[in-house]
Amino acid sequence: MRKLLTTMAVAAVVASSMSAQAGNTLRIGTEGAYAPWNYLDDDGKLAGYEIDLGNAICEKISYKCEFVQNEWDSIIPNLIAGNYDAIMAGMSVTDERKETINFTAEYFPPDPSRFAAAKDMEFDFANLKGKKIGVQGATIQADYVNETFGADNDVLSYENPDQSIADLIGGNVDILMADASFLEPVVNALGSISFVGEPVAIGGGVAAGLRQKDTELLKAIDDAIVVLKADGTVDKLIKQYFDKGPFFAQ
Amino acid sequence: MDWQSSIEYITNGKHLAWYASVRFTLIAAVLGALFAVFFGLIGAGLKQSKWSGLRLIGTVYTNMLRGIPDVLFFLFLPLAFEQTVEYFLAQASCTSAELADGSTWPPCADAQWYLTTTEYLLMACVTFGIVYGAFAANVIHGAMQAVPKGQLEAAMAYGFSPKQIFWNIKVRQMWVYALPGLSNVWMLLVKATSLLSLLQIPDIVLWAERLGAANYVAFKGLIHDDWRWKYYLVLFVFYIILAYVSERFFNWLQSRAGRGMIEVR
Repeated sequence: MRKLLTTMAVAAVVASSMSAQAGNTLRIGTEGAYAPWNYLDDDGKLAGYEIDLGNAICEKISYKCEFVQNEWDSIIPNLIAGNYDAIMAGMSVTDERKETINFTAEYFPPDPSRFAAAKDMEFDFANLKGKKIGVQGATIQADYVNETFGADNDVLSYENPDQSIADLIGGNVDILMADASFLEPVVNALGSISFVGEPVAIGGGVAAGLRQKDTELLKAIDDAIVVLKADGTVDKLIKQYFDKGPFFAQ
Repeated sequence: MDWQSSIEYITNGKHLAWYASVRFTLIAAVLGALFAVFFGLIGAGLKQSKWSGLRLIGTVYTNMLRGIPDVLFFLFLPLAFEQTVEYFLAQASCTSAELADGSTWPPCADAQWYLTTTEYLLMACVTFGIVYGAFAANVIHGAMQAVPKGQLEAAMAYGFSPKQIFWNIKVRQMWVYALPGLSNVWMLLVKATSLLSLLQIPDIVLWAERLGAANYVAFKGLIHDDWRWKYYLVLFVFYIILAYVSERFFNWLQSRAGRGMIEVR
C-alpha cells in the first residue's frame, strides 16, 4: 500500500514536471458546442471562429495551441482550477465575470441577444406571463431573463445550446433567448422557428478570459489581438464565420 | 439517406473517434479489475489478520466502500488526490507569502498540477480498484473460509509448511469459490466504466452524447434532430456483448480453476 502510494505520488510529480517542461503551450478551454464560435466538425476536430483565431494568436505569441473541451457551466471554475490557461468560448465581458477572471481585448463587438419562437407566434414582451422561456445556464441571457421575466414566467435553463434549440422545436419552451450570432444560422436553416421581439443588448463584446494572476500572458495575448485586428485577420475570420463586419478595419 | 452516404457518415472522423474511444472503457475495466484484485487481496488479508487492529481496518474498508455510492467516490478521490499532490507541491515550491495568502488554489503557478486524460484515466482505474476491491475483498475472504478445513488439516498431517498450506492448498482452491463472486464484481465494474466522462475522459458515453446532439446548420455536417437515443442504443448493445464475452470467459476460467478438483456444487 505504502509502496503504491509512493509510486503514485512519484508518477504524479513526474507527470507534473513534464507538463511544466512543455513550456510554451497555451491551453485554451472551449465548449465545442456553440457554432459558429466553436464546434466539432465531421472529422471530430474542434473548428470555428475561435479555434482559427486562437491558433492565429498562438502563432503571434509563439506558443503551441492546445484546445481543451469543457462544458460551459464549469468553464470558469476549471480555468481557475488550472485545467487550461484561457477561455475562448463566445464569452461576453461582464462586470460579474470580471470579479473572478480577467478579459483580453475584445475580438468580437457586443453581440445583441435575441428571442426565437415557433413561426408565426407573437408575444407581448411588456406583459409576458405564464410562458416557458429557455436559456443556457450561466449566460448573460439567463441573468437577464430571470431578472426581467422570472417573476411571472418559467425560466428553463439548459446545459447545452443544441438541447435548448431541440426543446424549442419540440415545443417544450415557448421562447428561447440566446446570442444573435448563435441563433441566426439556426433560424435561417430551419423554417419552423423565427425571431420575435426586439434584439436586446446585454453584455459587452466577446473576449478571451484568463486567470487574474496571469498578467504577463494577458498582455501578450492583448498585443496579439491588437495586431490581428489591425492586419485584418480578425475581420476576415468574422466575415468567414458570421458573414458580418468589418468591425476592426482601420 | 441512402446506404452509401449512411456508411460514409458512420465512418467519418467523428465516428471513428467514437469507436476509438472504446479504448478508455476497456483500459479502465481491465486495469481497474487488476487494481480491484490487488486491493481485494489486501482487504481479505486484513480481514483475517491475527491482529485485531488490522482486522478492524479491513472491516472498515470493505463496509465503508461498499456503502458509499460509486459515483460519489469516483468524483471525490481524484479531486482529493489532485489537491493533496498540489498541497505538497505548494509546500515545496511556493513562497511563504503565497502560502499565507490562501485566496486562490493552488497558491502559486509552480504548484499547479495539469491533469490530462492519461492522468485522469489512471486515477479512474485506481478509484475503481479501491471501490470494487472492497467487494472483491469480501468475496475472497469468504472463499478462503470456504476451503474445507479437512484439506488444510490433511496438508498439515503430510508435513506441509504453513506457507505451503496457504499458497498451495488454501489460495489454490480458493479461486474456485471466489470466481463466481469475482465475475459479479467484474460485471459491476464494467458497468461503472460508463462513469468515465465524469472525469472529462472522452469515452464512448461522452462521444455518444456529442454525436447524437441535434444539428441544424450545414457547416457543422449532417443536419439531424436529437439522435442521442440511437447512440445510447448502440452503447446498450456494446455493453451486452461485453457482458456475454465476460460470462464466457469466466466460465472458461472456472473450469480451469476447478481442474483436478471434485465438483463442489
